[in-house]
Amino acid sequence: MAPSEHPHDQTTAAGERPWFRAAPPVLGPGHTFESVTEKISAIVMTRRTPVGWFLGFAIAFAFLMLLNVTIGHLLLTGIGIWGNNIPVGWAFDIINFVWWIGIGHAGTLISAILLLFRQQWRTSINRFAEAMTLFAVACAAMFPLLHTGRPWLAAYWLFPYPNTMNLWPQFRSPLIWDVFAVSTYFTVSLLFWYTGLVPDMATLRDRAKSRSAAVIFGVLSLGWRGSARHWQRYEMAYLLLAAISTPLVLSVHSVVSFDFAVSVLPGWHATIFPPYFVAGAIYSGFAMVMTLAVPLRKFYGLEDFITMRHIHNMTKVMLVTGMIVAYGYANEAFFAWYSANPYEQYMMANRMGGPYAVMYWSLIAINAVMIQLFWFRRVRDNVMLLFVLSLFVNVGMWLERFIIIVTSLHRDFLPSSWDMYAPTRWDFAMFTGTIGLFLSLFFLFIRFLPAIAMFEMRTLVEEETHELERPGMV
Amino acid sequence: MAETTYAPPADIDALRSRALIAGAAGLVACGIGFIVDRDHFFRSWLIAYLLFLGIALGSMGLLMIQHLSGGAWGVFRRIFEASSRTLPLLAILFLPIVLGMGTLYSWTHPEHVQADEVLQHKAVYLNTGFFLLRAFIYFAGWILIAWTMTRWSRRQDEGDMSVNLRLQYLSGGGIVFYAFAATFAGIDWVMSINPHWFSTLFGFIFIGGHGLAALSFTIVISAFLVRRAPMEQILKPGHFHDLGKLSLAFVMLWAYFNFSQYMLVYAANLVEEVPYFVARISHGWQFLAIFLVLFQFAVPFLLLLSRDLKRMPHRLVWVSLALLLVRYIDLFMLVSPEFASTGANLHMLEGEHASGFFVHWLDLAAPLAVGGLWLWMFLTQLAQRPLVAFADPYLREALQSSGGH
Repeated sequence: MAPSEHPHDQTTAAGERPWFRAAPPVLGPGHTFESVTEKISAIVMTRRTPVGWFLGFAIAFAFLMLLNVTIGHLLLTGIGIWGNNIPVGWAFDIINFVWWIGIGHAGTLISAILLLFRQQWRTSINRFAEAMTLFAVACAAMFPLLHTGRPWLAAYWLFPYPNTMNLWPQFRSPLIWDVFAVSTYFTVSLLFWYTGLVPDMATLRDRAKSRSAAVIFGVLSLGWRGSARHWQRYEMAYLLLAAISTPLVLSVHSVVSFDFAVSVLPGWHATIFPPYFVAGAIYSGFAMVMTLAVPLRKFYGLEDFITMRHIHNMTKVMLVTGMIVAYGYANEAFFAWYSANPYEQYMMANRMGGPYAVMYWSLIAINAVMIQLFWFRRVRDNVMLLFVLSLFVNVGMWLERFIIIVTSLHRDFLPSSWDMYAPTRWDFAMFTGTIGLFLSLFFLFIRFLPAIAMFEMRTLVEEETHELERPGMV
Repeated sequence: MAETTYAPPADIDALRSRALIAGAAGLVACGIGFIVDRDHFFRSWLIAYLLFLGIALGSMGLLMIQHLSGGAWGVFRRIFEASSRTLPLLAILFLPIVLGMGTLYSWTHPEHVQADEVLQHKAVYLNTGFFLLRAFIYFAGWILIAWTMTRWSRRQDEGDMSVNLRLQYLSGGGIVFYAFAATFAGIDWVMSINPHWFSTLFGFIFIGGHGLAALSFTIVISAFLVRRAPMEQILKPGHFHDLGKLSLAFVMLWAYFNFSQYMLVYAANLVEEVPYFVARISHGWQFLAIFLVLFQFAVPFLLLLSRDLKRMPHRLVWVSLALLLVRYIDLFMLVSPEFASTGANLHMLEGEHASGFFVHWLDLAAPLAVGGLWLWMFLTQLAQRPLVAFADPYLREALQSSGGH
């Protein structure tokens, strides 16, 4: 769709605002209430499920089965099947935990903060970004639970509950804060996502052709009738949920960063960790939204809904947060020197020139150098390139966690305790398995639920129409 | 539109002369202080200076963000611009700090560096020549950005719309420069007062303070302007609502950064880091610490939650004035516990020393001097240009801003 079809650019043609490089529209031209609803609900209700969907789901499902096998083997054998061992007592399990939790953050930012900031472009991507959050948190939660070796006892280890032995978790440990942070995060995200789905469930109920679909969506829509009173309360509830979710964007990954920063390990104990982790989380999360949005809009022909405006804005968010991450790298390097502490200096020298230096420089190449491409509009216009770059960002942020976690541990304070860490095939099986879980859930989600919020898109139709009639103010 | 010139209100001149008188009076007092109590003078001057530098730099940062994001707060552009044009004056007002380096920074004394292994290590960075060179680079960069922005903004007013994109490009690069320069300025001017201490979060805390000070100041000036033509026609409750929300965000950010830093340093209890906080939670300083928690976070947080308050300029202005005052106290807390009540830098004294809580009369005179002169400069700059950036590409959106839900 050419940008010149947008009303802003029509005024451009008339010469009124010739200098105004208008942002592409948030909704393609020519849509009505009916066409928006039809196009989005058709994916769930009427369109034949494309072959590509089955193919993609089959691959994702295969990896999900790999996850099951891994978990089975893990529970029967024990966590010795993983490569972590003293001094690296914590490796893939925590790397992947942080990586997945971070990815979830884009969903919360989009649904909560962008809603409060009245950023309309959030509308078409918020639903699946929130779904992404839930699936990512589910993947993340597996790692610490399975790292306990006996997850059926995890509640006993993780949650403070009154017991006859009078044993409590260590409240001063950030690991227990994590339990609360992540479970709150999952709960609020689920509520937010489901609340957003209710009016659309009702739409699907009303459009359902089969009795069973009508009943299922009818139950899920919780008796939604769309009366003015429903809407009024709904809007209030949604706004309140957004306000509750907003601190979570900062708090969850801050608490995750405390897992490291509260310790006194060089490379972990840095006061910048909370905001630096949060920025990294949003950065990687937007990369994942990009990774998912580009194929989604392509295969389902949703270019009118997920427009170039969304692509541009997501890229800009990645640029901003990526620059904060890059600032963090520079900051860490400077302060390692400035601290005048030999352990800090060695930590940085080991990252830059030690056995894992290739990974360190790869993450710098991606997260500090490659993202400079996002400054250029020509790059922001190139969807395929952005898709590839977003994959790189996912890798870069994974490498960042690997470097932070492994390099600080494998060189212990005493050189006699030094060792190398190498993941085993079961580490990789578990990691790729969670990717399989994530993608399987995502495939099911886009097939059975409206991936874009229909009712919110309808409000955009209204606004796009009004924009045409709006008189100039200046 | 053509008839309106958006000329600033006439009584801005009266305010200007009052600011100049206050500045001159403060300057005289500071001159006396310089003679009778030089150590305190330099410390007080640094604190006052940081507050107004923060307003100017924060305004420039907000201006650049506005150019980049096209935010609907373009109606405040002239205030941001005028604020950033005070940077040349601030470069001059930096001279007393250069003069006072020997008092403020122990690493300027070779005998201290000789006796201290850590300072020897840092001497490559913390030495007088490089310190001055860095200060020159920061100011040159900042002033160049502010000057170019103003020049292009003027050309925009004259109808040259080709500058719009260039303003965006400059803002992109400018914000990166600002963030790095402000971080290192914070290390140089504040952190190195205690040359052993370091905190990687300090740059964010420093920059976050700039943002909060700039927003509060913008609200104060806008509340003054909204009662007078021409801005009474332009500024709507929605605009104040937006600034109020941003202030709330920065208040929360302040708490978030400071809590993170405090908790991590306190919990780790490392000998390089924790003395900084031990000094601030003992010997009377703990009351100031609690005061800051209450008045830079709890109270403004609760007040700014109110939608009505944010939309009423005549009430919001009091919160913002209080926030400016608290910003000053926060900067006082950043600097003063590193000094003895006699004004001497603790890190230059022999043996172990602790600072007991103190306030010096120069802590009132210095902000009067710097603030008066700075406000005079600001108002002079504000009066030079139309109050509305009428050629701003996003102004149409900005004027329509009806405020939050």
